[in-house]
Amino acid sequence: MDKKTFLPVIDLKWIVISIAVATLISFTVLPMLYLIFRSIVVDGVINIENYREVYNNIVNFSAFVNTFKISITVTAVSLLISFPLAWLVGRTDLPAKGFFRTLFVATYMIPPYVGAIAWIQLLNPRVGYMNVYLQKLFNLSAAPFDIYSFSGLVWCLTLFYSPFAFITISRALEKMDPTLEEASRVSGATPFETLYRVTLPLMFPSILAGGVLVFIGVASAFGIPAIVGMPAKIEVLTTRIVTYVYMGTGKGIREATALAVSLMLVANAILYFMTYILGKKDYVTIGGKSMRPNLVELGKWKWPITAIVGAYGLVSVFIPLASILVTSMLKSLSRPVSFDNLTFEKWLAVVDNSQYMETLSNSFITASIAATAATLIALFVAYLLVKTHAKGRRIPDSLATLGGATPSIVIALALIITFSGEFGLNLYSTLGILIVAYMVKYLTMAVRTIAASLSQVHSSLEEAALNSGANWLRSLKDILLPLIAPSIVAGWFLVFMPSFYELTMSIILYGSKTKTIGVLLYELQTYADPQDASVLAVVVLTIVLLGNIILRKISKGNVGI
Amino acid sequence: MWESKYVNQNKGDLVVAEVKIQSVTKMFGEVKAVNDFNAVIADGEFVSILGPSGCGKTTMLRMIAGFERATYGEIYIGDKLVSSSQANKFVPPEDRNIGMVFQSYAVWPHMNVFDNVAYPLKIKKYSKQQIMEKTTRALELVHLEAFSKRLPNQLSGGQQQRVALARALVGEPRLLLLDEPLSNLDAKLRESMRFEIKELQKQLGITVIYVTHDQAEAMAMSDRIIVMNQGVIQQSDMPEFVYESPANQIVADFIGLVNFIPAEVSAENIILPSINHILYSPGYRAGKALLAVRPEHIVMTTAENIGVSGTLLHKFYLGDSIDCRVAVKKEIIRVIGKASVYQHFQSGDEVTLQFEKIMVFPQD
Ligand SMILES: Nc1ncnc2c1ncn2[C@@H]1O[C@H](COP(=O)(O)OP(=O)(O)OP(=O)(O)O)[C@@H](O)[C@H]1O
Ligand SMILES: [Mg+2]
Repeated sequence: MDKKTFLPVIDLKWIVISIAVATLISFTVLPMLYLIFRSIVVDGVINIENYREVYNNIVNFSAFVNTFKISITVTAVSLLISFPLAWLVGRTDLPAKGFFRTLFVATYMIPPYVGAIAWIQLLNPRVGYMNVYLQKLFNLSAAPFDIYSFSGLVWCLTLFYSPFAFITISRALEKMDPTLEEASRVSGATPFETLYRVTLPLMFPSILAGGVLVFIGVASAFGIPAIVGMPAKIEVLTTRIVTYVYMGTGKGIREATALAVSLMLVANAILYFMTYILGKKDYVTIGGKSMRPNLVELGKWKWPITAIVGAYGLVSVFIPLASILVTSMLKSLSRPVSFDNLTFEKWLAVVDNSQYMETLSNSFITASIAATAATLIALFVAYLLVKTHAKGRRIPDSLATLGGATPSIVIALALIITFSGEFGLNLYSTLGILIVAYMVKYLTMAVRTIAASLSQVHSSLEEAALNSGANWLRSLKDILLPLIAPSIVAGWFLVFMPSFYELTMSIILYGSKTKTIGVLLYELQTYADPQDASVLAVVVLTIVLLGNIILRKISKGNVGI
Repeated sequence: MWESKYVNQNKGDLVVAEVKIQSVTKMFGEVKAVNDFNAVIADGEFVSILGPSGCGKTTMLRMIAGFERATYGEIYIGDKLVSSSQANKFVPPEDRNIGMVFQSYAVWPHMNVFDNVAYPLKIKKYSKQQIMEKTTRALELVHLEAFSKRLPNQLSGGQQQRVALARALVGEPRLLLLDEPLSNLDAKLRESMRFEIKELQKQLGITVIYVTHDQAEAMAMSDRIIVMNQGVIQQSDMPEFVYESPANQIVADFIGLVNFIPAEVSAENIILPSINHILYSPGYRAGKALLAVRPEHIVMTTAENIGVSGTLLHKFYLGDSIDCRVAVKKEIIRVIGKASVYQHFQSGDEVTLQFEKIMVFPQD
């Protein structure tokens, strides 16, 4: 092959990659920088007066404190639950482990606000199903639980954000060389001694990483704090930010930016803290040959533990889902649950409601476009990362990771102030701004999946195609794409699903014509018709479930939300 | 520390580390990983379990250690029944008082060398002073006393494996189990570690069960080799017997190099149709058989001599020896001999082969 035909091959590749990178920078880094700029620059001069003013307001200050308090509590509780669960599933002879594993990550694929709706139905102090039932069962004078409280909020958040920790910890446990534990056993240590002298310390980095994920997730959460916390007068940073944005004034936006930057700082501080600690303790514990761990026999504890774990699964997954389903089918909310009080009427009414259906289609369209665009960009970002040796090949990937790690509300606010015409691009109240937001937030999901599968493809395959005269795009299409097709489809779904039911960003980005299903559900639940909210929640859950089934099929069980 | 051979200082009871394995079978679902394994390993004996990948070596060792339960059969360590399917008895690994070394070293990355080695003593609640003394002695034993404050990731593979060895020995077990402990090391280090482990065993007089798929390793170190294939013991003998008189074709093939030639055995002769040759060799059972000759048991001479005639195809120098391929009719026969003897032969030469030592395996 002579030079003439060889050079354009390189050029085309770099042009395509540069476009992907440029898109990424203009929609991720620039808006974020502009957000920070706007929060500290007032009328052209640096001025932290804005922050002082915001935090002089006791409500904002206590929102800041609440965010910390809630995040730390939920993180602690999540770790206390997740490590034992991960250990039980990964290292013991607990029965039906596959089922339990799925159960413990199930809430991860349920939109958190749907969970909030369910728990309000269950633990509402006046008519919550569970409260009423328990009150009757134990003959209590008052409802035993009140969801509208600090502990109610923590409970709900823990159920929905602890899977972050469970997933991180159980993956690390799976990868850990089991002979490290066996060496402890032959040294004379019982399974329990081994657990806390070897397994636990070795798992520390992953436990910490899981904890940080939970913390950031909770600190950035909006759905549950808005639905459960706000009625209880517990405000957090995200709910304050939304309130300020809803004021619609310049001052409101400015104060929102100050709060958003605070939230971003909290998240980043936690990330740096983790990196600092992990820097000192990053062990390689990935093992060699025998990766089948020796299973600890639970013995006489087996069935009691199974019962407890099963009860947890029942309470955390099945009961809330059942509650949503039952509520969506009640003839009358004021009459007790019984078969003759069940009907599909509400479902038909919802399907007939053109406003609802338009919202559903908005969500479908935005999520599909975001998923398609993100998958395309992810393909090039992953290619750059895995298949080239270019300097700075990690930069686009880190930009994608940055987007994923940034609190949704911060991304949304940054996009609002950047793309409201300030820089010649006005996406305000369009589907476009929603699409951009979803892309920025979930791109990293697609990059991870595609990069993982690209790294399995040996580069000699691609080189062979290039040598036989195919240009780069052609070799990509003929060789690489077919090989990694499953991961591309998986990546698409991994962006589509969370985009489809997204709430936190949508709630401040939507316009009168671009309402999404997440926003509609939130509004119905909060202001209008909780039963319609339940029906729509069933619709969302069905779509998410279908998406997950497809995802598992194509990835052969390796990927799921 | 290691003198008191028959007294286990921890428990104060008498222990002789004889290992008795009686009709042990291990099923993984439908797969018989170990099939009716019977062996008695004497106190102070060094026994290797040798066999191809997947033959069940590790599974057998893990049953002795207590990481797997035998589906059938009994295992005794010393006088103690540690595993019995009939009596439904199973002693967990922590109560078997054995030392074990893993292929992946399994040195804990969050503890320094000293703490790794001291761990079994800490678990057994020895006094600080005893821990100090015994751990130091164990580190001396493997020549790592200068490394005690290092973290494992600051050690080479060979050093890590020595840490694992010291940790396995520090509790003064009477039985040491090793599962391919050297296979992650490079060739040179492997040879010197072989020697070290053997020396340690002699010095301490402990019983060793050593799993490997490397026959040279097994040959060099063992008092006895148990050859396994597909879960079944093929032969259990001293290394020289396993080599000189393999019990069957599988062992002959697995241990050392061998040429197989189809044969018809009659009362006095062995007829080799494929190379058109007859050996006068009475005493074998008549019928179809497989003749096995090791390459080093064949003498190659010039064409005028009496024997099997063939053509030298290739010769490969291996330093002190030469490895030759000789075509005889349709068979290719491998011959290995001293370089000084064979160096004057050229590819293409007509040669004569004489079988000095043969093995015959009946085929029906
Ligand atoms: N936990 C298990 N579950 C199912 N099958 C197993 C398990 N452990 C081992 N096996 C199977 O039992 C057989 C014997 O395995 P084992 O690990 O004992 O072989 P090995 O002789 O040690 O091989 P290698 O030299 O490769 O280490 C293999 O077919 C293996 O796949
Ligand atoms: Mg093995």
